[in-house]
Amino acid sequence: MKNKINYFEKKSRTVKLLATFVLFFCSLAFAQGQTLQGKVSSSTGEPLASATISVVGTTRGTLSDASGSFKIDLKKNETIRISSVGYTTKNVIYNGQSNLNIVLDSDDKTLNEVVVVGYGSTSKKELTGAVQTIGYKELKDLPVTQIGQKLQGQLAGVQINQTTGQPGKGMNIRIRGQLSVSAGSEPLYVVDGFPITGSIGAMNPDEIDDISILKDAASTSLYGSRAANGVVMITTKKGKGSGTNVSFNTYTGVQQVPFKGRVQMMDAVEFAQFKKEFYEDAKQPVPAEFQNPSQYAGKNNDWYDALIQKNAPITSYNLTITSNKEKSRTSLVAGVLDQKGAVINTDYKRYSLRLNSAYDLSDKVTIGFNVAPQLTYDNTPRTDGDRSNGILFNAMHTWPIMPIYEADGTTLTKFNKFPASTGNIWAYANWVRSAQEITNETTTTNLLTNGYIEYEILKGLKFKSSINGEILRTKYFFFNPSTATNALNTPTPTTAVSIRQNIENLSWLNENTLTYNRTFNEDHKLELLGGYTTQYFRQESTNIQADTYSDDRLPTIQGAININRGATNSGVQEWSLISFLARANYNYKGKYLINAAIRRDGSSRFGLNNRWGTFPSVGIGWVISDEDFMKDLPVVSFMKLRGSIGEIGNNNIGNYTQYALINNTVNGVFGNTVAPGAAVSTLANPNLGWEKTRQLDLGLDLNLWNDRVNFTYDYYLKNTTNLLYSVQIAQESGFGNFNDNIGEIKFWGHEFSVNTKNTVGAVKWSTNANISFNRNVVVALAPGIDRVYGTFHITKVGYPVGQFYGFISQGMYKNQADVDASPKVPGRSFPGTIKLFDANGDGVITNGGNFDDRVIMGNPFPDFIYGITNNVTYKNWDFNIIGSGSYGNQLLVRHIYSTANLDGPFNLLKEVANRWRSESNPGLGKYGTTVGGGNVTGIERDWINSRFVADASFFTIKNITLGYTFTKPSKVYKSLRVYASCQQAYIFTNYWGGQNPEVSSQGNGQGDGGNLSPGIDFSSFPVPRTFTVGANFNF
Amino acid sequence: MKNKLIISCLLALGLMGCTESFLDITPETNLSSVTFFKTQADFEQAVNACYVPLRTIYNDRSWLLSEMHSDNTYYARNTAFGATEQQEDLADFSIPVSNGLTTNTHVLNQYRQDFLIIARANQVLALIDKADFDATVKANLKGQAQFLRGFAYFELYRYFNKAPLQLTPVTTREAAAAPLGQAADLEKIIIGDLTAAAGSLKSKATQEPGRATSGAAKTVLANLYIIKKDWPSAEKLLREVVGDGGYSLIPDYNNVFSTSTGNKNNSESVFEVQFQEGSNGYNGTFMYNFLPRPMIESELKTLSGTSNPQPQTGEGNNIPTPNVIAAYEEGDLRKSASVGYITCSTTLWEGKTYPIIKKFMKTHALNGNHGMNWPVYRYSEVLLFLAEALNEQGKTSEAATYMNLVRKRAGLPETTAKDQASFRDALMKERRVELAFENKRWHDLVRTDTYKAVITAYGAEIKANPFSYYYQKGYTLRSNSFSVIEKYYPMPADEAALNPNITK
Repeated sequence: MKNKINYFEKKSRTVKLLATFVLFFCSLAFAQGQTLQGKVSSSTGEPLASATISVVGTTRGTLSDASGSFKIDLKKNETIRISSVGYTTKNVIYNGQSNLNIVLDSDDKTLNEVVVVGYGSTSKKELTGAVQTIGYKELKDLPVTQIGQKLQGQLAGVQINQTTGQPGKGMNIRIRGQLSVSAGSEPLYVVDGFPITGSIGAMNPDEIDDISILKDAASTSLYGSRAANGVVMITTKKGKGSGTNVSFNTYTGVQQVPFKGRVQMMDAVEFAQFKKEFYEDAKQPVPAEFQNPSQYAGKNNDWYDALIQKNAPITSYNLTITSNKEKSRTSLVAGVLDQKGAVINTDYKRYSLRLNSAYDLSDKVTIGFNVAPQLTYDNTPRTDGDRSNGILFNAMHTWPIMPIYEADGTTLTKFNKFPASTGNIWAYANWVRSAQEITNETTTTNLLTNGYIEYEILKGLKFKSSINGEILRTKYFFFNPSTATNALNTPTPTTAVSIRQNIENLSWLNENTLTYNRTFNEDHKLELLGGYTTQYFRQESTNIQADTYSDDRLPTIQGAININRGATNSGVQEWSLISFLARANYNYKGKYLINAAIRRDGSSRFGLNNRWGTFPSVGIGWVISDEDFMKDLPVVSFMKLRGSIGEIGNNNIGNYTQYALINNTVNGVFGNTVAPGAAVSTLANPNLGWEKTRQLDLGLDLNLWNDRVNFTYDYYLKNTTNLLYSVQIAQESGFGNFNDNIGEIKFWGHEFSVNTKNTVGAVKWSTNANISFNRNVVVALAPGIDRVYGTFHITKVGYPVGQFYGFISQGMYKNQADVDASPKVPGRSFPGTIKLFDANGDGVITNGGNFDDRVIMGNPFPDFIYGITNNVTYKNWDFNIIGSGSYGNQLLVRHIYSTANLDGPFNLLKEVANRWRSESNPGLGKYGTTVGGGNVTGIERDWINSRFVADASFFTIKNITLGYTFTKPSKVYKSLRVYASCQQAYIFTNYWGGQNPEVSSQGNGQGDGGNLSPGIDFSSFPVPRTFTVGANFNF
Repeated sequence: MKNKLIISCLLALGLMGCTESFLDITPETNLSSVTFFKTQADFEQAVNACYVPLRTIYNDRSWLLSEMHSDNTYYARNTAFGATEQQEDLADFSIPVSNGLTTNTHVLNQYRQDFLIIARANQVLALIDKADFDATVKANLKGQAQFLRGFAYFELYRYFNKAPLQLTPVTTREAAAAPLGQAADLEKIIIGDLTAAAGSLKSKATQEPGRATSGAAKTVLANLYIIKKDWPSAEKLLREVVGDGGYSLIPDYNNVFSTSTGNKNNSESVFEVQFQEGSNGYNGTFMYNFLPRPMIESELKTLSGTSNPQPQTGEGNNIPTPNVIAAYEEGDLRKSASVGYITCSTTLWEGKTYPIIKKFMKTHALNGNHGMNWPVYRYSEVLLFLAEALNEQGKTSEAATYMNLVRKRAGLPETTAKDQASFRDALMKERRVELAFENKRWHDLVRTDTYKAVITAYGAEIKANPFSYYYQKGYTLRSNSFSVIEKYYPMPADEAALNPNITK
């Protein structure tokens, strides 16, 4: 009951806020005018807002408004200086005219690029923090469907992996290697100032104008308790230029899965040969099916290939209209994407619209409204994951002698065709049928809206109030008819199952800020910001699971014989956040820079005793190249040293973790009657709080030879403490875990990036390269606990998190003498079985417990990541090539517990043919004898060992594009660019475990895929190579 | 100008009108402990939850630790299937032990589930006296919580002979690891809880079927006294159960065990773990755990009777041994009611036809889901307990009257054992067949201190003839089999890592 009241109270608060907003709006009628009127615009006619107009030699000055207009009191012959970030500064002597139109030339120097930062913008020159930006120029030409794909390889210190080729999914973004034991590690995404609560995977990349990545504490601390993982600021397209501009971009292409990198499995003849040898070695009669392996020549069934969609089409259309009138600016982006996936029966569609508009109600008042509705439809077979879920994994190890089609060549088979006496003890489904017949669709509708009002109270003093809203509805429908299954060992007909899930998210944010912007005596530039914000989020979900259908054609709820009570439920998730924020930026002559920021957050997520947190930061910068003593070094065109320090937080800890919850579904049964039961399911922790990260950043920006070479270096050191961790406690308490803030992880790293203009003549060639070294080490875990085990991982004090943990394989026991003389597994070691390293030297190989012989055997983290982009233009031609790489990272190839299963229930890796068969025929030394049954052969597949670990270093040519621009206007268009492009062109790698070295396990039902268990490869949706041709029209 | 400034400031303040209560968000879909444990209904639910871990214990663990870890049942080795060492180590008496600790997962889970019962009961017992509701209802609820806590400690006592002493609800991280109690400490808790429960619980005649009764509390307590060889105390309690009037033997042994939907908590039942067939998650699967494998659909259907039988892969467990089958006397009606046979055409074992535990093979509607209750204590065991307690006090002839009630029902003549020693042997044989596959055998071997001799001989028998113990021709036992024959289970290593007191 109390909860309900809370909810309504919150609703009424929303109403109150809106009322205040309207009241404020009315008070604006008092705005007044001044004497001289002017207007600042760019050489292309675009009005320049926020340009600084100062009277030289006085403290007087003003800023231009959103339409570029300004008013100022002037005496005759006074000089005014007009400056704006990104434009060259101009001085004008006032000679009494009443109207002044000032045109500023744009400044190509990257130093003057506008950089969007939290609650404002600045120039690259005046920045004290570590911020990287990618502008429209770099973004526009890549025909990819996700924002993350556009950023790959282009940012230092940001690791972006495409973990799966499923359309619209799987971009894993980590800034400066940040991770947490159990809280989320994704950066905060801020779209036009609104920290969104959903993902950006589905956002239409064409709506974006530029992206800023905030990496250090000075840049992120204004996002306080949510900033520890870094912040990605996305700015969408606004009205630009003059008049109305219309452009239309389209591309179409095909996606192909290359043969390179596929796991090398046995073909039908090789497999039958293996099975024949299996029985021979065991001195058992060979079943008739395998007596003559050559009978399968030409009858190979490549189940993996059968799931791959050849030449899957992709098409995209985007229409952009920008309009810039005297008192209003609007932009509209409408997009349609239609993509088939690289696995059969994958379908992805996105319809998106964004309308941004701003109106100047008076010289002092601007209001704006942005709306962005979007609809996505996604149907993907359950491709990724382990035996219970991933059809790609299952297909890979299905016997190649099993036919995909019946004798007629068109009808898919029903299994099982081989009797158990052949060792076919795991029932296979027809995976092609699974992909075709199982429905797994998600329909998402999303509406982002934003309204704001900006009022210039006094010269340089601005008030801004905004309301942002996000509504996200997700409708999920899954139907597994009785004829199909994702899972291994589930014979058809299965029990038909349907899952329906509806999730509705509502989030609103109100922000109110006051900014004061002033330059005193020309040399002292001061910017002050104060603000107050409130945000609220609510999610309601309904899940219904029903099974046992009498007819597969009618997957309604009422069509099911049974409702699965345990999986049918409803849920509510809520949080709220109140914040106060302030920032001061000061610089002297643009040479000595200092900025200080602070945010104070109160969050519903934290324990009652620990509700408020304060997040301060300070950044300083010194533009050395502006000092007189540097004038003698003309080779240095710009040089800046910067440093920052601050504390930020991570509140991605779930909503109710501080409460002791009662689980009221612990029901008893008496007789045949269910009796409701309830038990305390979690322990309360009223002191629970956010994770704290203290971060130090030291940076150098160096431009040489008149900015032909731009170099940036950053060093960072972060200490994340108070890690939210579900500490394991003795279960005689009745609980497994206690949510606490505990432990410490240290992160540090070096980031280098360099941009060069190699040639500037007719052929313009520029290169952008970056490399980053990210490291982490666990400093402390819970008191008395120095390690946390995962199924395949260990996180241990003194080591990086999530290290691969298992036995070191030393090949196979050569003979009985070798077994006798070596450490062994009691009762399970024989000649030809795997020999594992006896780490504790007790002569016995032990799995787990106090005499554990497992050790750290691999590291999923790269030594370094790097990217290189080359851009060449010649006359009307442009050519672009982007590469992204990672070095020294390893993956645990999980699928070999099936694909090297020596008992022969599955198809095997080709190289298993070369296994141990006798002392004189020991094979590669990698795979053991097939004799002895599961208890003997099981060790090498069930006891995770170093044979599973593979080097996954890679360098991928992410994109190659060649374009030609017709600059001569025709009747139809003003200009036209046509291009051909290849995405995911080529992967240079020695990785043998699968097609995608960027993979990291997604949740797979084995407790993996979390922050402490990275780098597991089961086999995921391959990332296709995409060839596209496209055209950009300007009308 | 100044006015505007002031107005703006006021407006800004107005916007900040949100108070701290904006941050008060409590979960809507869960109650929290702050608001729970107040009313009679709250405590009824809390007590019901105390029973829930019993389903897991009896479905998944007890038979592994008490039956397959004895000479009554074995596994049916499937050489094509690995990752089975956890249960094989129990059946083969080869669980890994170091420093008094083991990594065996079944041992760990049994331990954790017992403590889950204890923790839930502690929560009830700590708060129930402060709540204000009907005293009779309260006594019955409190008695159930005491019974279940006592029973859980009794299990730990039998398996480990020591356990941490956790008697109050844990609210902090530090309080989770409790000090270790030795056998005497555990006996004190068990006697205290069960004596109190016997006093406050309703009798079988008035209690809701399926819940703990005063008779059940007395039986468990008598079992403890029998282990302690405190025969007079046991006799006193068991006579009270016999005199309770609520219990009688069912004439036909075939009808003693519950079916998937009926015959539950019948007149012979003293305490049963309750299951319910259906998709609500209260079902059992133990019948499937006890199947020889691999087994094809048509073979399964003859046992389960379901419309959608699914083939069973993997390795079969809890398969009756030739040894226990031979233990039935000629003409014992219980033999055909307890042991059946099934032919698995696809198994690699050349014998093909396996014995199965027929008393738990009941037809049901849904594949992999049945509602048979598990008999924890039956009245026939009360009679045998009483016979034992009497015989040990030299009252052999009176003891015989109770044992003969059980033998008569089985179609057998009265016992011929006249002296105390031969009666003792006859009684243990009787227990073995009457209570076969009901998780009694290992505990009987331990309390009579015969476990070492019996299991050593049993191990030699399997090694001498692996084929008759379901090994494929040419295969034999693992070399470390029957190397760890110990009276009590070692403590679980995972818990020792979390509670250092365990190894102290």
